[in-house]
Amino acid sequence: MGSAAAIRVQVEARLAQRVPAALTLKIKQAPELFSTGIAEVDAMLGGGIPRSSITEVSGASSTGKTSFALSAIASITQLGNACAWVDVSDALSPEATAAAGVELRRLLWLRMSAEGGKKVKVTDKPWSRLEQGLKATDLLLQTGGFGAIVLDMSDVLPQHARRIPLGTWYRFRLAAEHARTALIFLTQSSCASSCATLALRCEPAAAVPFSSSGETPLFERQQYEFARERNRNEGSPFLQRKPTQRVSWPAETLWSRVR
Amino acid sequence: MYAVLHPSNFFAQAAVHQRPELRKRPFVVLDGEPPTEMVFAANNAARSLGVEIGMTRLHAEAFSEVIALRRVIEHEHTAHASLHHVACMFSPRIELVKERPGTYALDIHGMDLLYGDAGQLANKLRQSVMTAGFLANVAVAENFHAAVSLASSRTGVSVVPPGCEAHAIGQLPLTALHLTPEHEATFAAWGIRTCADLAGLAETDLIARLGQVGKKLHSLACGTWPHLMFPIEASFEAGLVERMELDFPVEELERLLFLISCMTTTLLERVRGKARAIAALRVILRLDGGAQHERTVRPALPLQDTPTLLKLIQLDLETHPPGAAILGLELHAQSAVPYRAQHGLFLPQSPQPGQLEVMLARMRKLLGEERVGSPELTDDHRPNAFRMVPFAPPQPRRSERPSLSTPIALRVSRPPQMVGVALTNQIPVRVFWDGAAYVVCDAAGPVRVSGQWWSEANWCREEWDVRLENDTAKRLCRIAFDPRSRCWYVQGTYD
Repeated sequence: MGSAAAIRVQVEARLAQRVPAALTLKIKQAPELFSTGIAEVDAMLGGGIPRSSITEVSGASSTGKTSFALSAIASITQLGNACAWVDVSDALSPEATAAAGVELRRLLWLRMSAEGGKKVKVTDKPWSRLEQGLKATDLLLQTGGFGAIVLDMSDVLPQHARRIPLGTWYRFRLAAEHARTALIFLTQSSCASSCATLALRCEPAAAVPFSSSGETPLFERQQYEFARERNRNEGSPFLQRKPTQRVSWPAETLWSRVR
Repeated sequence: MYAVLHPSNFFAQAAVHQRPELRKRPFVVLDGEPPTEMVFAANNAARSLGVEIGMTRLHAEAFSEVIALRRVIEHEHTAHASLHHVACMFSPRIELVKERPGTYALDIHGMDLLYGDAGQLANKLRQSVMTAGFLANVAVAENFHAAVSLASSRTGVSVVPPGCEAHAIGQLPLTALHLTPEHEATFAAWGIRTCADLAGLAETDLIARLGQVGKKLHSLACGTWPHLMFPIEASFEAGLVERMELDFPVEELERLLFLISCMTTTLLERVRGKARAIAALRVILRLDGGAQHERTVRPALPLQDTPTLLKLIQLDLETHPPGAAILGLELHAQSAVPYRAQHGLFLPQSPQPGQLEVMLARMRKLLGEERVGSPELTDDHRPNAFRMVPFAPPQPRRSERPSLSTPIALRVSRPPQMVGVALTNQIPVRVFWDGAAYVVCDAAGPVRVSGQWWSEANWCREEWDVRLENDTAKRLCRIAFDPRSRCWYVQGTYD
């Protein structure tokens, strides 16, 4: 064993100029995490979403992506960080944002133009809006200083989102690492693939029936379910596929708080 | 010791300052509203022909050789600025003599090390003024008023040794003392013509006849009336201007940026000299056809670096380009104390102010003015009423989050999408949206909302929260019925 160690030291010394510490296993530091503000999700993720990397939240409509992202942004702005929301479909509701607890003055909202305000169908090609969104995200990452950036592509169809070159996501991953920013993608289906350090899939949960205790039925609460598909932040130095973990979390409407 | 600089016939000299070819020819300066214009100033050549101040335009035009010029206030300001600039080169303490236009008094105490004795300084001062395009008299005396009287009455350079003021101004006519018409008439009646005559009178007798004014006039004639100097405090802000005229019209902004860069650097050097920064930069472009294009770049924090300011100007001009070719440009800067902040090691990070400003300008260019900023809720009953405000994050600070449950977010459809809705017993049962049919599994409503019924902008609708389902998708939406247009819209999707 002694001779093996000596050989390793010799090889490393010879390669030191070209490849520093070539045969030494890198010790990965525990990533900094931002709490999402949802106890159930934080428990599943081991503390929250990672900083300096990409988190991808994918799922169909009405599966809780936006509620989750707003909750995470609320926690991050309340830590005193500035955040940005790149809104490809111009769909963010300031009321919902304020209700989630986001400090609006710390939130930079970038609304992509919907082709001159004309009526847009879901199936219309969103190239210009997507291009604007990607360019805006690039600029934000280059500027740096943002705690989190949300690239909201929830209304972009999967076949359109998948046409974004993979190189874009690699570039974003490096830029997010450099800028120490948590980059959150909201998509209908996963498109950042291995560039995302954390991948969450939103799944339809059991429907909570509308409350009918009053005169008329009332929409009060909804149950959402997340499945963790990938988490590269866990301590093991060996890459091994972990079983998918699931968590269910509740959300309620503003008026049910008043009740 | 005072040196007084007096350009004789200042208004006439100012009128032809930009046109030196007219100086030798007879000309008059007309002032007033047409057709009641009067002769306001005239040069010696015109006066020798018989032109007098106060003549009407018609009278002046009767002299065929005399050229009539209109009075331009800007020319007088420019002439004042030129004389001021020359005066500033010879002394840091200068005062404008208000009763004699264009006349500057300089405190030259201690300036002999730089410019030699009083006579040399006076000659150099006169030479500099002549180089600037003005003919001026210069007088140096210990007494301020004596120097002013000498400069306004004696041509060329006059230097009075200390204590000889009374003798020096003794031969000057009484008009050199700038008397009121009443006093002039009184002294004329008494047969007093010169300052020496006035100085020879007994002071007490003069006070007995004219009051306290008599004492002042007697002292002025003796060259002993004291003066408290109020030096001009040059306005730093007013001097932060750079102008440039172009030889030919320029249409491309890139070519213009080279000039703007030089001008911005010059302004920044001046501002940095006072340990300040630029808070706002106003760019005025004079366009072909006489129009002006004005833009103001106002960074969130005062800046001290040219590249950031230049980038902001470039992005602003690219977003709001001028409508015609550019003939000239002006840069007006506004200074402020530079931004200094003590950042903490353990405080959350925030964007650098300079970089943030440039990034926001780029975003505004990319997306439009109204699409970049922070949302701010307005005091309005209309759902989702908000306005965009400029993004200016406050100082990083932790705040406690109230422990409330996670709210459901609504994704708003902007503009609302029209849908078809089938009703049964006034309750939605099927929704047709973007070519797909959905069955309504659950419906909550109607919630009737309205507002601004007192104005033309009134609105009302019935809102329903519906759970939609078909073979491929499930959605939780808010749809609304507008009774005025009798249409159903999707307000948004809960997500």
